[in-house]
Amino acid sequence: MSDSATIVFEDVSRFYGEVLGVNRVNLTIPPGITSLVGPNGSGKTTLMNMMTGLVRPSRGTISVRGIAPDDPQALFRIMGYCTQFDSFPRGYTGIQFVTAALLMQGLPAAEAEAKAWKAIEKVNLVEAAKRKVAGYSKGMRQRIRLAQSIAHDPQVLVLDEPLNGLDPLVRSETIALFREQADRGAHVIVSSHVLHEVDMISDQVILLANGYVVAEGEIRGVRAEISDRPHQIVIRCDQPSRMASKLFEHDHVVEVRIHPDRQGLLVKTTDASHFHKLLNKLALDGIYIDTIAPADDDVNSLYEYLIGDEGGN
Amino acid sequence: MDTVLWRRQLLAIVQLEWKKTLFSKRGIWVYVLAFLPALLFGINAYRVKSIRAEQERMSVSAPNASAVSNKIVAGMSADVAAEALRDAKIPYSRFTRGRRLEVIRYNDGANAFDLMFREGALVDKRKRNQALLSDDIRAYAGMFQYFYLRLAIFFGCVGIFMNLFRGEMLDQSLHYYLLAPVRREVLMVGKYLSGLVATILIFGTSTALQLYLMLSAHSNKEVSDYLAGEGWGHIAAYLGVTALACVGYGSIFLAAGIIMKNPMVAAASILFWEGINWFLPAMLKKFSVIFYLQSLCPVVAPLNSDIPEPLKLLVTTAAPISAPIAILGLFTVSIAVLAFASIYVRKLEINYGAD
Ligand SMILES: Nc1ncnc2c1ncn2[C@@H]1O[C@H](COP(=O)(O)OP(=O)(O)O)[C@@H](O)[C@H]1O
Ligand SMILES: [Mg+2]
Repeated sequence: MSDSATIVFEDVSRFYGEVLGVNRVNLTIPPGITSLVGPNGSGKTTLMNMMTGLVRPSRGTISVRGIAPDDPQALFRIMGYCTQFDSFPRGYTGIQFVTAALLMQGLPAAEAEAKAWKAIEKVNLVEAAKRKVAGYSKGMRQRIRLAQSIAHDPQVLVLDEPLNGLDPLVRSETIALFREQADRGAHVIVSSHVLHEVDMISDQVILLANGYVVAEGEIRGVRAEISDRPHQIVIRCDQPSRMASKLFEHDHVVEVRIHPDRQGLLVKTTDASHFHKLLNKLALDGIYIDTIAPADDDVNSLYEYLIGDEGGN
Repeated sequence: MDTVLWRRQLLAIVQLEWKKTLFSKRGIWVYVLAFLPALLFGINAYRVKSIRAEQERMSVSAPNASAVSNKIVAGMSADVAAEALRDAKIPYSRFTRGRRLEVIRYNDGANAFDLMFREGALVDKRKRNQALLSDDIRAYAGMFQYFYLRLAIFFGCVGIFMNLFRGEMLDQSLHYYLLAPVRREVLMVGKYLSGLVATILIFGTSTALQLYLMLSAHSNKEVSDYLAGEGWGHIAAYLGVTALACVGYGSIFLAAGIIMKNPMVAAASILFWEGINWFLPAMLKKFSVIFYLQSLCPVVAPLNSDIPEPLKLLVTTAAPISAPIAILGLFTVSIAVLAFASIYVRKLEINYGAD
């Protein structure tokens, strides 16, 4: 695919002082819905901020449909970015907030306002549009920011955790909106720390852990890649040997070692989501489980978003 | 070039920003600073008016007062002088100062006097402040240069321009601008212009009010003579210098708000630099704002008599430059500062809370 139709990361790294944001990322993202998935701190926001010029790579280059992120005048004609920041300029109503962005696009006032209303309709906020954003609920604030980012019909739509905190109905409406944007040929890039939240809607998934891209591609391939890898989990509990014997009854548990202090065990499993359900059952059977922690970092991250709604805990 | 687009964007930014800047909660003390001199000249106007009223009353109740006053000359004894005043129905107060000095204070309708008696004999006849317009004009010049320019507008610009970027970083709303198809330089200039609109409005209004209050207390004749002479020129110059001060300090503090992490350190170092400008060699003087503003002030500010002689010399020998050159110089400094800041604004990253 040519440069002007893809988003390309070439050997991109970003450090915040000593802290690694992302490291050596090489990606070519075609249009359609792409999900960046990884636990908190894995580098999703950093990638999005670099794509949009809010932060700059320490190394490497990025091209968004042939445009460099340090050229905002060109970039934001075709891009909309709905950030993670739940903050607003003071004193705006919903409609003013969306219109302001369109005025900055250089549209005349009347046209800007008409377009703003269209976008607000798309996110179902027409009734609230003339009220101050400061009085909105969290979900409404999220939607008005979404409206602002889509108002100029961008070819590249970047959304940082857009589904976080939405109720199920709004969530499915929002997903429908992403689909609509993707179907007209746009890039829709969505981040999430919960894989199952986005895997059904994504054309491709990029998995991040600790600043590295650990897997990328169509969702089937990525799933396989995860489940092929055994996951190591440390469990602290009061009856480790009873637990071990129960665990061994299951095929996906490939290894169990009891910790020398007899207060815990190390488990390797090939199916983390089944394993998680199993643990819940054992806990109900009367085994007291103190903590569950992934035993190595890489698997840690992959594991957590598979099982959790609140990955990273 | 995309000048049409840029113009539209600048206009949009100024429209979005200027009210926010003018009415920001962080900026209330700017108004206090700006209008403090107006308050002072309001009080002064009241003082001048009551002195003038007193003088008018005198000219009715003691029509021959100045003739009597003229006859009080050195060597006259305190008792004789007091009696002469009493006969002419001129009110006076008599008091001692220290152990040996006796003072008689009175007003003859045209002038106020302090008569100083040592060992009973008049040694000095001092004219006191007579609430003349010319005195106020000098006082205004001093206030304008030492307080208004150097402190009020200075810190007003700290408050307004320094917050144009920094304030939005604190509010976590700056990214909305950075996510618009606007060159960072255009954004910076747009914000600068809205800061100018706000500061020129605030400080220009205050300057006009101060001058109005200063003039309002004096007699129609004095005021119209002044205006017919150099008055309008002074007023135009003061308003112009006010605006130029906003232009100059605005650029510096906009830049400081983008470049420097700690705004107060920035303000303090610039205050220091501008403060020592008097004593800098000619070459370095030019890298400041106050140098140009000072040259454009229409009335030489009265020097405090406490300043030691050698310093006075330094000040008075600082060759003033002509108005067009001063204006040109000030704009050059401002543009250079903005150009420098634009390097940083291009590199600016959104890093809320991480500083
Ligand atoms: N402004 C910053 N200063 C220092 N470290 C940062 C900053 N932003 C992000 N990081 C670090 O970079 C890593 C990636 O963070 P981020 O991109 O926010 O991840 P995510 O969005 O996946 O939660 C984390 O370790 C985070 O602590
Ligand atoms: Mg994030």
